[in-house]
Amino acid sequence: MALAEVKRVQIVAYSHLKTELLSSLQESGLVQLEEANFEEFDLASSSPEASEHEHLLHRLKQALDYFSGQEEKGFLKRLFTQKPSLHYQKRKEVLDFDFRSVLDELEKLEADKNELLGEIKFLERERDFLSPLKELSLPVSSVETTDSTEIVLGSMPLSQFEELQKLAEEEAIWFEIIHQDKRQIHLLVFYLKKEQTQLEQSLKELNFTRLYFTEPIMSLAQVKDRVGDVREKIRKEIEGKRKDVEALDGERRRLAVYREKLMQVHDVLLNERERILSARLLGETERVFYLEGWIRSFDVDRLKNKLKPYFDETQIYFRPPLPEESPPSILENPKPSQPFEVVTKLYGLPQRGSLDPTLPLAPFFFLFVGLCVSEAGYGLIVTLLSLLYIKFAKPKGGLLLFLKLLTLLGISTVILGTLVGGWFGFPIRQLMILDPLQDPLSFLILALALGFIQVWFGTLLKLIDGIKNKNILQSIFVQGGWLLLLPSLVVYLLTKQFLWGILSLVGAAGIVFFASPSRNPLARFFGGLYSLYDISRYLADVLSYSRLLALGLATSVIAMVVNTLCQTALGIPWVGWLLAALIFLGGHLFNLAISYLGGFVHSMRLQFVEFFSKFFRSGGKPFQPFEMESRFIEFI
Amino acid sequence: MALGLTLAILGGALACILGGIGSAIGVGLAGQASSGVMSEDPGKFGSLLLLVALPGTQGIYGFLSAFLVILKIGLTTGTIPKLTVFNGWQILVACLPVAFAGLVSGIHQGKVCASGVYMVAKQPKDLMKPVIMAALVETYAVLGLLITILLLNGIRL
Repeated sequence: MALAEVKRVQIVAYSHLKTELLSSLQESGLVQLEEANFEEFDLASSSPEASEHEHLLHRLKQALDYFSGQEEKGFLKRLFTQKPSLHYQKRKEVLDFDFRSVLDELEKLEADKNELLGEIKFLERERDFLSPLKELSLPVSSVETTDSTEIVLGSMPLSQFEELQKLAEEEAIWFEIIHQDKRQIHLLVFYLKKEQTQLEQSLKELNFTRLYFTEPIMSLAQVKDRVGDVREKIRKEIEGKRKDVEALDGERRRLAVYREKLMQVHDVLLNERERILSARLLGETERVFYLEGWIRSFDVDRLKNKLKPYFDETQIYFRPPLPEESPPSILENPKPSQPFEVVTKLYGLPQRGSLDPTLPLAPFFFLFVGLCVSEAGYGLIVTLLSLLYIKFAKPKGGLLLFLKLLTLLGISTVILGTLVGGWFGFPIRQLMILDPLQDPLSFLILALALGFIQVWFGTLLKLIDGIKNKNILQSIFVQGGWLLLLPSLVVYLLTKQFLWGILSLVGAAGIVFFASPSRNPLARFFGGLYSLYDISRYLADVLSYSRLLALGLATSVIAMVVNTLCQTALGIPWVGWLLAALIFLGGHLFNLAISYLGGFVHSMRLQFVEFFSKFFRSGGKPFQPFEMESRFIEFI
Repeated sequence: MALGLTLAILGGALACILGGIGSAIGVGLAGQASSGVMSEDPGKFGSLLLLVALPGTQGIYGFLSAFLVILKIGLTTGTIPKLTVFNGWQILVACLPVAFAGLVSGIHQGKVCASGVYMVAKQPKDLMKPVIMAALVETYAVLGLLITILLLNGIRL
C-alpha cells in the first residue's frame, strides 16, 4: 500500500569512462537521471551534439515508413505481429551492417522514380496539348513560316468564329478548321507576311491564341510525322517510362530484405542518441564527471553489480531523499493487484507520503465492473480474447497490464453474471442468488451497502494516512468519529435501539470537538458542528452507488431485447434462422461493447470521485528511468 | 380502457423519443468536433470514436425503458392489455425521469465530449480523462433510468 522506497544515487567517475558508464546505466534501466547540482560543486555542464544521429534516424524512419506502407497484411495479422527482438549486448554489431549504402540506394531509387514521374507528367501534358490538333493534315515539321506566308496554329472561342469568316472574306487570310468542340475551335491560319502586323492585331481582337509545338514535340517528330504519329510516340514513351517506374519499385521492394536490419539500426542509433544527449545532465570537471539520479532501494544491489567492472575508477553513493526533494512515485503492488495500477495511474500518481490506493481499490473495482456488466457470457468472451491476445501477440508494458486487468474483470463478470445476471440474456435460475429484474429493491440495497463499505473504508484509510503523517489526535477523533457515527447511525435508524443512538452521538461528539482546530472554543464548537453537515456528502456518495443497479439492469434488459428480437426473426419463413443468428451476434456484441464501456467508466468514477476523495492525494511524478527504448524492435 | 393503454404507450414512446433526441444531439456535437480533428490526423479515429459514442447511452436508456413498458403492459403477448386510466398515467409519469434526464444530459454530455475531442487532439495519451468527465454528466441519466425502472417495477397493474 505504500510507495516503493526511492534513493538518491550519486556517481563520480573519470571522464574517459563516460560513454561506457552511461551505456551500462542505459542497459540496466534502473536509474532516473536528474540534472546534477552544478552550482554546489562548481561543475561545468556540457551541451552534447547528436545531429548526425538525428539525420540518420530521420532517413531510417523514412525508409521504414516506406516498407511498412508496402506491407500487405490484414488487420488481425498486424494485431498479432510481434516485434523482432535483439539482445542488447549485440547492439554494437548491428552498426557493422552497411546500412548507409542501403539507405543511399533506396533514396536514389526514390529520386529516380520521382524524376521519371515528373517526365511522365510532362509528356502527358504534351499529349493533351496535341489532342485537339490530331486531325491536322500537315506534317508537324512543315508548320513553319515560308518566305512570303505565315503559317500559324491557334485556337479561338467558337463565338468569335463568324467574325473570322468575315475577316477572311475581306482580307488576305485563309484558314482550315482542325478541330471544333462546344466552346473552342482549333485552326490552321495562313496569311501574307507583308500584312502580318495588321492581321495579327485583328486576330488578337478575335481572341485568337497562337499555339506552338514545343521543343520536345519537334524533336520527336521526324520529317513526315503527323500529329497522330507524334502522339503515338509519346504514348509509347510514357509506357516505357511507366515500366521503368515499376522496375524501380520492384527494386525497392527487393530491398525489403534489409527491413529488419534497418529496424535494428534505427533503434540502436535511437538509444545511442539518447545516451549522447543524456550527457547534458552530467556535471563535469577536466578529469571527472558527476551524475545524480533516483533509484529504487530494491535495485541498489543490482546497480552495484552492473557497475562492478568500473569499480576501481568510480565512486557510488546512495542516500535517502531529502525533505525538500520530490522523488518520483513508484507503485509497488503484489502481483494480483498489479493490473489495477492502470486505474490509479489514470487518476494520477500518489504524492510522496500518500497511500498507494491500488490495493484498496482493487476488490471494489473488480466487483463493480462485474456488477455493472453482470452478463456471464460477455465476461467469458472478454477473458478468452484477452488471454488469447496475451498468448499470441505477447504485448508488453502498459498494454499487457491493461489486458491482464481485462482478464480479471472478465472473470469477475462471469462470476457475478452467473449470480445476478445471465448467460447471453438467459438467466440460469438455479445458480442465481438475486434477480434484479424481479427484485430490484434488494439489488439496490446490495449496491448501496457496497457503496457504504467503500466510503467507510476510504475514511478508515484517511485515518491511517493521518496517523502516519503525525496528525494523530485530530485523525482519531474526526475520522474515528465518522467511522463510528456512520454505521451506528444506520443501525439505529433501522432498529431504533438506544445503544446505537448513543454510539452515533459519541462519534458525532468527536467530530464536533476536533474537526475545527480553532483556539476559540466557540468557533471550534460551531466549526465542528458545521462539519457534521458533511453527513450529506456521505449520503450523496453512498447513493451514487445506485448506478451499479441501473447499469446492471441495462445490460440484462438489452440482452433480453436482443433475444426477443431473435425470436421474432425466427418466425420469418426461409431466412428466419439466418436473420436471428445475425441479430443475436450483432446485438450481443454491441451490448458487450457498450456495457463494458459503461461498466469501466462508471466503476472508475466511483473510485475517483467517491473513494479517492476520502483519502487520496495525487500529484506524484512518474518514474522515468534512463533505459533502452524500443520503437521497431524489442531489446532483450 | 383504451385511454389507459394509450397513456402507457405515450410514456414509453416519450422515454425513447426524448432520450433519443438527447443522444442524437450529443453524438452529433461530438461527431462534428471529431471530424474536424480527424481532418488533421486521421489516425485518431479509434480513440475519438469512443468519445463520440459516449453520449449515445441516453438513447439506449430511453429505448430500454420503452421496452420495459412494453413488457410491463404485455404488448407482446398478443392479447389487448387492460389498463385503467390511472395505470396509464402512472406508467406515463414513471417514464418521465429517464426521458427528461436523458434529453438534457445527452446534449450536455455531447458538449463535454466535443471539448474532450479537442483535448485528445492535443494530448492523445489522456484519452480516459475526458471520458471520465463525460461520465460525470451521464450520472444523471443513469439515475433517471434507475428511478424509472424502480417506478415501473413498483406500479401494480
